[in-house]
Amino acid sequence: MEKTNHKRSNRTGIEENILAILESTEAKDTRDTNDDRIAFIEAVRAASFIPENGTAPTYKMHEAVFHILRVGKSLELIMSSYQLLIELNKHFPRVHVSKSSSTDSHELIIFNEDWSPFVLSSETVCSERQAAGGNSIGPLDYSGFTLLIQELYEVVNGTNFQAIDTKYLRNMLLLQYLVNVLEGDLLPRKIVYEETSNWNLLRESLLNMLLGSRRINYKVLMKDCLSCFSGLYQVHAGINNDHGCSENYVTKPSEDCYPALAFALLDAEKSTCVAIQKLLTMIMELDTSKKNADMLGHTTRADGVRTPLMEIIVDALNYERDIVSPFLQVFSEPKWKLEIIVQYFSKYITKVRTRRSNGPIDDATFDGILKYFSKSINLKNFLKKISTDIVQLLLAHAFQAHLSISSQYIEGDVDSKENVGNSSLVQICKDIICTFKSLSAIDENIEILPMAKEALFAAATILAMSNS
Amino acid sequence: MDFDAPLDFENEDKLVNQPVVNKKRKKVIGLDDLLTDHYKQKSKLIEKEKKRAKASKNYNSDEDESGKEALLSNIVNNCQNQMQDISGEEEIPDWGLQVFGNQKTPPPLDFPQLGSCKLLRSFLNNEVNSLVELTAENGETFLEGLLINGWLSKLVITRGHVEKSIATWTFNLILYSSQEELMASACDFWCAILSYKNKVDALPTKIDWFPSYSELNRALSIYGFSANFSTTAESVNTNSGYREPQNLIGWIKFTAACCQARSKKSILLTKEAEELVEILTCIFLDRRFLALSVLLSECIQSVINYFTDQEWNTSCQKIAKSLACRVPRDLNCLRTVDCIAGVNNRTKHLRSAVAYQILVVCFNNEATREEEILNLLININVKDRNCDLFKMYIYLVLTENWLLAYPNLEEKPVLNEMWGVFLRNCSCQISSTDMRPFASKVRNKASFLLQSPANK
Repeated sequence: MEKTNHKRSNRTGIEENILAILESTEAKDTRDTNDDRIAFIEAVRAASFIPENGTAPTYKMHEAVFHILRVGKSLELIMSSYQLLIELNKHFPRVHVSKSSSTDSHELIIFNEDWSPFVLSSETVCSERQAAGGNSIGPLDYSGFTLLIQELYEVVNGTNFQAIDTKYLRNMLLLQYLVNVLEGDLLPRKIVYEETSNWNLLRESLLNMLLGSRRINYKVLMKDCLSCFSGLYQVHAGINNDHGCSENYVTKPSEDCYPALAFALLDAEKSTCVAIQKLLTMIMELDTSKKNADMLGHTTRADGVRTPLMEIIVDALNYERDIVSPFLQVFSEPKWKLEIIVQYFSKYITKVRTRRSNGPIDDATFDGILKYFSKSINLKNFLKKISTDIVQLLLAHAFQAHLSISSQYIEGDVDSKENVGNSSLVQICKDIICTFKSLSAIDENIEILPMAKEALFAAATILAMSNS
Repeated sequence: MDFDAPLDFENEDKLVNQPVVNKKRKKVIGLDDLLTDHYKQKSKLIEKEKKRAKASKNYNSDEDESGKEALLSNIVNNCQNQMQDISGEEEIPDWGLQVFGNQKTPPPLDFPQLGSCKLLRSFLNNEVNSLVELTAENGETFLEGLLINGWLSKLVITRGHVEKSIATWTFNLILYSSQEELMASACDFWCAILSYKNKVDALPTKIDWFPSYSELNRALSIYGFSANFSTTAESVNTNSGYREPQNLIGWIKFTAACCQARSKKSILLTKEAEELVEILTCIFLDRRFLALSVLLSECIQSVINYFTDQEWNTSCQKIAKSLACRVPRDLNCLRTVDCIAGVNNRTKHLRSAVAYQILVVCFNNEATREEEILNLLININVKDRNCDLFKMYIYLVLTENWLLAYPNLEEKPVLNEMWGVFLRNCSCQISSTDMRPFASKVRNKASFLLQSPANK
């Protein structure tokens, strides 16, 4: 891989030469400007990848490509700058792990002087920059990220109709790129952290600095992320009909790229959901690591306190029942999905139990919850707290997540067992069927939701298979 | 210390710039300086005064003011027109072809055998069915639910078996379903089962039916893809009933997943994979699919990785030759080269080969050896007024791409030498005042390439 032999010297000559292409470019979006920008992107690509000893673009070059993504109006510019940024991130990561041959341990290599789309290093720099009236078209600062999520949310929930244009697409691609950068920064740190337990590595990760900033309202940001996440799914699936995409495009004045844009949005909304899901899981994993570091006494007061995202999600699902269904539908990462549902259940079970303690339960796992529900009286009490529909959805989705995990880790991955408990898949299938049977016994008029029927079908089919 | 250690140029830049500013500021300002400044300003003021006086004089003496103004604007307009004629800057059409045209009616999505598939049938008599209420009639609707909610892939993976009826049904949904959700879910389904065996080799999923290349190809022609695309973007037929083939997204994703899963089952012959690379490259030339460029690029790379090393060397040449004959020799051929990402050895190889083959075709196959091509290029007289500099620009960019990714160029000093001569011809023999179209583009490009470190 080219990853290890980063060549970052001898680049000024190239930089001057390539940046000169953009020199005549002004703010206007004429064809010439567009041509120059495309030529610039191609020149950066050519210099970075094509020669055998390709070099990472310099700070200024990288920044200029990012600038094009943020201001480019034409679809061609947006797509090609996005693609180049993603490829650069892949080939010239700012942070990467090198394996030292002698000790078999990993070492973290960080190119601090490399460009990054975030300016998170020093909070004072940000405020100074803003005070100086610097426009927001440089790297993003904390508020820039919040703003991006807000803008997306406004379009998704329909308060900002007019915004469905190239800007909507650009914001989605921008978010995907930023999540890509956050991931590229966090994963190598995590690998080394797991070997060394050096919390500093994670503390200095872009994601941790972003979330820990006093300049953002972390809880609001996370709630906006969640709303965006569920909202995008609804827009995509055409559920939210007062904001049906296709109708909207028809009323839009057709631009030259109109059909291409409509086409782009089809896929972009889906991949944006995937990106947000990645962001959410990364944060939850970071929370777990932070908790571990806390217990080992590696954190300091400077690390601050941050509500674990899991709690925020469970609360949100609790208070906004409307988003339960879309959230579960779109969040597909099985390990965290199961964990979220298990937490949701156990939160209520604890409440119920404090009033009438119905024997000990092992409620922190899925099979523990199913066992708890196997007593009809427990289930009955529980249904007083949460509607049957929600219980059905939660059970069905939890079962599906469990099924995914058990097919992914057949070889017996210890890590995956933690939320699953010790029961076999067959036992879980039996328990699921039992729970639904007692649900329908408690409420004779119950209408079994399609998702629950499908879960029952899956459970029964797997049982039949194991018996044959 | 590590001498290759990265230097912080950004900081260095600041250091270089800063002191200059400081020097100026810190310079002690003497009385002399103040005095000269003062006189300078004074003389400027006097000059301005004079000018103003002159201008107002003219203005006052002008009697037939409006008439003269009209005359003046006429002259200016004429001048402008003449300028335009001289420069002859006619708009060169941007790249863009119509790769998709007349669509055919998709085959009906009718699957009578689906309701009786084993997966459903074995459940009908299950006692749990009292809750599920599955019948032979609502079988297809139920399967759709299983597909959309993500159960189907998990079930078949757990069972280790994909029945033929389910495989054909889902495959056809990808290609022809008009319901976005079904199309996308079916695509996810196939991607899941195709990529599954990569994770665990203990439980191979038996897939009873695999689509063949001809089916993928048929879908493309139904979407309106034609190998002989029309050469002008203007001829876009806006006939009624044309719908953007949304299923193309699924088609691309499915094709990529198939190629990534070669270890399981190779559904493509080498010849078919070659054709796929060409087709995908051509889709890049249609602006309506601009937004798919990331997907397309990933897909091309998957297909390119599908070849074995042995196949690749010959296939790469075949693809390049065939593409070169297909694409028109205008900005579209540059787009063709650009869209081959060049991020790994094989795509670099292909990029270089395609650029070279287009050059060969540009010269009507007059030259068969690499040196001969460069010789032809060097012998073009750019000073000649009849020299088509637009063509020259195309040659220049093609040669750049051909040689930039040329494997071991340093072993061929002759090529490198000739390339240098060609570049110097373009950059030195075209003057900066040359008004011919594309003169400045050729000159700038050539001097840019001369300055890039690869050519030093």
